Amino acid sequence: MTPPAAAAPPMNAGAVPQDSQANVDIMNVITRGVSAPWLIILGLALLGVAQAVGTLAYQTYYGLGVAGYQAPVFWAVYIVTFVFWIGIGHAGTLISAILFLFRAKWRNAINRGAEAMTVFAVLTAALFPLIHIGRLWKFYFLIPYPNQRGLWVNFKSPLLWDVFAVNTYMTISIVFFFVGLIPDFAIARDRTTGVRKFIYTILALGWQGKSAQWKAHNRTVLHLSGLATPLVLSVHSVVSWDFAMSIVPGWHATIFAPYFVAGAVFGGFAMVMVVMIPVRRIYGLEEYITDYHFENMSRFILLTANICGYAYAMEYFIAWYSMVEFEQTSFYLRAFGPYWFSTWCMIIFNVVFPQLLWFKKLRTNIPFLFVLCFFINLGMWFERYVIIITSLSREFIPAAWGLYIPSAAELSVLAGSFCWFSMFFILFLKGGPIIAIAEVKEITIHEKAHGGAH
Amino acid sequence: MPTVVSVFDLPGDVVAAVTKLKKRGFDDIETYCPAPFPEIDDALDPKPSLVRLFTLVGGLTGVVTGFWLQIWMSLDWPIKIAGKPFASIPPYVIIGFELTILFGGLLTFLGMLLVGKLYPTFTLDKEYSPRFSAEEFGVVVKCDDRDVAEVDALLRAESAKEVSLGES
Repeated sequence: MTPPAAAAPPMNAGAVPQDSQANVDIMNVITRGVSAPWLIILGLALLGVAQAVGTLAYQTYYGLGVAGYQAPVFWAVYIVTFVFWIGIGHAGTLISAILFLFRAKWRNAINRGAEAMTVFAVLTAALFPLIHIGRLWKFYFLIPYPNQRGLWVNFKSPLLWDVFAVNTYMTISIVFFFVGLIPDFAIARDRTTGVRKFIYTILALGWQGKSAQWKAHNRTVLHLSGLATPLVLSVHSVVSWDFAMSIVPGWHATIFAPYFVAGAVFGGFAMVMVVMIPVRRIYGLEEYITDYHFENMSRFILLTANICGYAYAMEYFIAWYSMVEFEQTSFYLRAFGPYWFSTWCMIIFNVVFPQLLWFKKLRTNIPFLFVLCFFINLGMWFERYVIIITSLSREFIPAAWGLYIPSAAELSVLAGSFCWFSMFFILFLKGGPIIAIAEVKEITIHEKAHGGAH
Repeated sequence: MPTVVSVFDLPGDVVAAVTKLKKRGFDDIETYCPAPFPEIDDALDPKPSLVRLFTLVGGLTGVVTGFWLQIWMSLDWPIKIAGKPFASIPPYVIIGFELTILFGGLLTFLGMLLVGKLYPTFTLDKEYSPRFSAEEFGVVVKCDDRDVAEVDALLRAESAKEVSLGES
């Protein structure tokens, strides 16, 4: 018996003989240095955030009057934008949790980008209720805490359900995002030096891909997916009940929960496309995020667009069929009243345009998808605008009707919210792997094993 | 005790090697994988992960906390709202549900940290190598001096591409 090659050097002494292609390509996004366009976009985003902070300081000092709040419209662009951003988050959870449970392996290339988008969208959305209440320093009234007045919050109010739903969603999204990042932080730890290595070492939590670690990790991802799936459906349902639990014509409808969830997934997928198409192009990730991924997402968009279309039609049908004069008037004025423009934008961008996705040629045409998804995002913002503003401005007696026009302050904060979201995303491009490397390898190694490449 | 360190390319070979090693009675095995391959983890230890208990305990704690919080607070300062009972269960289902998810998710995360022994650290295993966060698999066996040759032969038979003696 010959002893084994005891003379061979220990494993960790040498450098990595050949790094995997996925590591090299995806780590390159982080390590290749900061480019001028990246800095310019980040600078613009920071500028946008700064001007919105300025507006908020002004609004906080002078009161919500500067936001144009006037009877009868006291929920306006801030709430519209809150619902918009919460909705954006839903595609990320759908991709990472629901498609995981359905074992749709194609999700592996896009789930990281979508999860990052979810976390940043929810971080954006969570600011809006605070902005909307005006007196920022009273936000803690929303939390049930023991106080000397002995008062508690009203647990029968949908607004309070929203506090719990959105905070749970934010927490679970961040946990899910971080859990998925741990193996990739370990990859980054092994391939960086200096301060970066120090930070990644801490974030990787000593990950070495041991079987006990993977076992715990797989189980955690499975359970978090199982928990996040009903959670994501509940969150937008609860958001919809902020409206549907009232008796305002145009809001008081049982279809709201599924309608909002479908709309959220629809808008979220569109946002994933809008964000990932440029990222893929700029960083040359075509090998990982293929046209096939975009085609699959287009199919989701087509499906949810039609669910939205059905919900729009059903709202009108029920308004007519209910024979309630207020509902009928409210819906008539949606399409032909002072806000006709936003209503038709919503219908054309969200239902008519997506019908083009029936054609495979267009589903695989990336520039077309980018433009379409941009319009879908616009349409989804208008959808919430239509639901909230038209309903509130045309309630019951015509004497109490009013007109609302978004104020400069609101538009400034709206623009700031997009900059705030972009800021997080741009920073993340340089902070963590934008594609889940370990999960991509799961597929490539499987292919290697079954394709007989050896 | 000597440590035999081997490198594999394919997960199927790792499973075969681990299964054979365990059959021969070598139980002190550790694997390092670049991606999740549940079949390897199961070959090493077929028991399901303890993380599931954390989820269960978290979820149950959450649902109890959710309902207790709302019922107790409603009764602590009773206010009649919309003619409903002070503690009316149907609307409380929503926050009860949200807290089930919140506590369940956080405890699952805690479970992963405890069960997987994950914490910020600067010391990694001596046998660990950045190769194992590339595309190669590591199988590390601790055995007696007299068994080294057998383990070596066994690993090579399952197409280990490198086998070496680590520092013990």
